[in-house]
Amino acid sequence: MKKSARFLSLALAAILMLAMFAPIAAAETAKPETISFFIDTVYGSMMLESTFQPVVDKFKELTGITIKFIKPEHSVYYDQLNLSFASGEIPDLMELGSTNYPTYATSGALADITEIWENSALKASGVVDEQYVDALKIDGKLYGFPLAMGNGTITYVRQDWLDNLGMATPTNYDEFVEMLRAFTEDDPDGNGVDDTFGITAPGLINGETPYDIYLREFYQDAKPDFYQVDGVWVDGMQQPQMVDALYRLRDVYEKGYMDAEVITNNTSAAREKFYAGQVGTFNYWAGNWNVTIENNTTKNFPNAKVSPLPAIAGLYIERPPLALAISAACANPEGVFEYLLSYAYDGGEGQTLFTRGIEGINYELVDGEYKQKVDPENEGKLFEKVIGAPDLAFTTWADPVKLDQRVIDSKAMFMANRTFDPVPPATDVWKDNIAEVIAIRKEAIALAVTDSATTPEQAIANYVAEAQPFIDAILADLNK
Amino acid sequence: MTQMPAIKPNPHYRKSALRDRMWKYRYHYLLFIPVLVVTFLFYYLPIGGIRFSFFRYTPFSPPSWVGWANFERLLFQRPAFWTAFNNTLILSLSNLALSMICSVVLSLLLNEVSTRWVKRSLQTVVYLPHFLSWVVVAAIFTIILAPGNNPATSGLINAYLLKWGIVQKPIYFLADSKWWTPVYLFISRWKETGWGTVIFLATLTSISPDLYEAAQIDGAGRWRQMLNVTLPALANTFVVVLILNLSKVMNLFESVLVLQNARVERATEVIQTYVYHTALTAQSAEYGYPTAVGLFRSLISSVLVISCNFASKKINGRGIL
Repeated sequence: MKKSARFLSLALAAILMLAMFAPIAAAETAKPETISFFIDTVYGSMMLESTFQPVVDKFKELTGITIKFIKPEHSVYYDQLNLSFASGEIPDLMELGSTNYPTYATSGALADITEIWENSALKASGVVDEQYVDALKIDGKLYGFPLAMGNGTITYVRQDWLDNLGMATPTNYDEFVEMLRAFTEDDPDGNGVDDTFGITAPGLINGETPYDIYLREFYQDAKPDFYQVDGVWVDGMQQPQMVDALYRLRDVYEKGYMDAEVITNNTSAAREKFYAGQVGTFNYWAGNWNVTIENNTTKNFPNAKVSPLPAIAGLYIERPPLALAISAACANPEGVFEYLLSYAYDGGEGQTLFTRGIEGINYELVDGEYKQKVDPENEGKLFEKVIGAPDLAFTTWADPVKLDQRVIDSKAMFMANRTFDPVPPATDVWKDNIAEVIAIRKEAIALAVTDSATTPEQAIANYVAEAQPFIDAILADLNK
Repeated sequence: MTQMPAIKPNPHYRKSALRDRMWKYRYHYLLFIPVLVVTFLFYYLPIGGIRFSFFRYTPFSPPSWVGWANFERLLFQRPAFWTAFNNTLILSLSNLALSMICSVVLSLLLNEVSTRWVKRSLQTVVYLPHFLSWVVVAAIFTIILAPGNNPATSGLINAYLLKWGIVQKPIYFLADSKWWTPVYLFISRWKETGWGTVIFLATLTSISPDLYEAAQIDGAGRWRQMLNVTLPALANTFVVVLILNLSKVMNLFESVLVLQNARVERATEVIQTYVYHTALTAQSAEYGYPTAVGLFRSLISSVLVISCNFASKKINGRGIL
């Protein structure tokens, strides 16, 4: 008894000692000296010097850690990132889009940060909206932290055209089509010339997931992709609602309400047509783009007014967030998460630094109100963001700078009318076959809508006949 | 006249003629070393990458040997590859034939222009499109050929076709597989015919006037002179240009890519765009299969060039390889 009491007391003492040291051990995650960070952005290469360097200096001053940003040109970002892996110069941290994130994760390129996140002070603090973190989980495991909200597109309408025609904002599909007809046939700009049409888009199907992010009013509940129904993967092209969606698209195309060049449009061509007053409806990114679209349109038509539409038939789609992923080769993933990511998304001063930049350089206090300063890279434009866009913050962060009301309204409209799109699968069988399926799918949709000799049923039958071996392989793999 | 210094043979080497020459020109060889190094590093060393056509290779893990699996996949399991292969041959060979004919004809016409400044000006005008990037050219023709929703948004061609009553509905030239190939070949000729005349014009200006004078004395008119003097003089240049262009037959890429769209992508796919779509734009970072496709393309290119050189030797008595 005496012996066991001694043993028990020793054991309890040991547990107490461990319990005492445990928080210290957790708090003493090794601090990395440098963090290499591959980042993509549509901004130019000057951004490294003009935007990132002051933030790098400030972060080093605060933490003693040097961030080495690597920013290839946007068009070759993944070529350069793949090259860095192939050459063994693997970054600690990298930005990944929703198409590449699962590919990298399932290839073993990324560190599993599930435990790091679950045990982090950041999670415990409650500042993060966890639905965005959960959106990046693959089979229950987390390989990346959201860079920002996923965001998505929303339909913009020339409100001044609606007003000229005495029309109310459409609230259902029939009213929407009637609006397109009026924009095409009733001279909405009042110039007496037949020079307008209803709606444009950069293609009938998006180039990456979510494929149906544009033209939501027509796709509605149809999805030109693989998705799960009651836990079983199916091919959306072969679901009955796809035929209806294609007929809706075909109808407005045949009547001339939709841009006759929709297939050859890219995003800039579609935008330019809207700015040039050729078209009255256009689906594009919510939030900050609302202001850009209106500003560019009013340059040509000072009385133009651009309004976002509530979703009228199918909900808008929020794509999976961009991910900030720690590489599997990173020597200290806990350190990168704790010292950089936890700080950059702390909902406070760290997030201000990595979102708004530095006071005095990127924003300033004017008459008691914080205002954006001019972007050092783009004279004439206000500085927008360092990494995450302010309007796409997914924490409780209080932005010191007041957002443009149009951005707030557009984002609020989107958030009230959106559904999440999941991270796509990325098995080896998927990767080997998906390119063929996408090519055949794109052609089928284009023919169904724009070729009067091919009905949607025929187009889908042709698609099935040609793509079936690849579809079967993918579905068998996903459903096994 | 400056006396050349006597060559002092290096006593450390055997007195072979080759080594003497190398010793004599040792500084030339020294100057050549950077070229050799660059050629080796950037042209020969990367050839080692063809081994990946026998591997499943992603940047994230060591390559795993798959033997002939990638070749089996492209030859027997991917109809899209054969479409791309056929399209490559059809587009390239049509382009090559048209290029040779148009360039020779345009060269002959330009050569007939006697006023020097007019000739120079015309040459400049026809060369200019060559210096436009394919992206710009594609944008120009997309606008010119646009179907449009109304007269104000139609492209030039459809506007006139509708105005003259030739068609009732605008033609979507770039999205209709029937129209795409002729339109592509036309655009290629518009862009490259002028540049293709450079070598032929150089040859034409080097033909001895004596030959034309002799032909005139023999009573040959302009047409006869062209048939019996000009064209034979162009024959060797023609073969050289043909073989050089043939080596590029399988290299079609940018010009096709920028004119593709969802509706005609599969019908117009060529091998290089197929590699691009399967390797770079698909949700995959697997380089083994695209490398196998690239290797197959290179083999076909080599066969074409060697065959053409062989034919040239048979016909002309000499090749250029």
